[in-house]
Amino acid sequence: MDEIVMGACVLLVLIGTFSAIFWRDPFDKLISLSVMIAGIFPFIVDRGYLDVAVALALITPLSTLFILMVCPGREPS
Amino acid sequence: MIAIYVCAVIAVYAALRVITERNTMRKLPFLNVVSFAVTGIIALLIPHPLTIAAAAAFFVGTTFESNAIASTWSGGMKGNG
Amino acid sequence: MMYGFEPEFIVGLFILVAGTIAVAFPRPKIYIIRLINLEIPGFGLLLIMLSLNEALALFTFGAISVLSTFIFVRVIQKREVAS
Repeated sequence: MDEIVMGACVLLVLIGTFSAIFWRDPFDKLISLSVMIAGIFPFIVDRGYLDVAVALALITPLSTLFILMVCPGREPS
Repeated sequence: MIAIYVCAVIAVYAALRVITERNTMRKLPFLNVVSFAVTGIIALLIPHPLTIAAAAAFFVGTTFESNAIASTWSGGMKGNG
Repeated sequence: MMYGFEPEFIVGLFILVAGTIAVAFPRPKIYIIRLINLEIPGFGLLLIMLSLNEALALFTFGAISVLSTFIFVRVIQKREVAS
């Protein structure tokens, strides 16, 4: 992988991690977690594990969906 | 070769916009922008014919996740789910 | 390549340590925040497995992580009903 793309993906993962730790609202934390997962996928594809990438991309949103079952909904402002 | 750099710059800029936005509802379009840019990075990364399938699967999964977050924010799971 | 390691390994170790501290001391001490923070060291472990070229471990860990999240969600829902 090129250095610029690798640096961008590392930056994406670190931004998502710190943002997911330091926000206090569950929805903000889930959005930041989604940014972190998006930064992980180019590393998996760069190693050549395309089947693992396909399976993981279809399985991982189910985890967010299960967490959303216990998050309290709110009215749109 | 310039296209993947453009995708990387767009991804980092949208991620910075996501974490500096105060309103939760305004974060979701920038989350979609991050997803589109990372889909472009995955599709352009290695020359292999199966890469487009991985990019399509990632696109479907992350759009589904973003729509689930937006739907739950507006109280969708409580009424009919 | 920095200091002889791949960047996946270093980033994965960093995420693993940071996420473990975040799970141990969540800011609002409720179960939902702790469950969301539990996702972070899971992906750090995923990056470490990726840097060691363990494809089958990667796949199995991704599947089992979702299953354990579902079980934790059921436990939290039962506790909310009971209290």
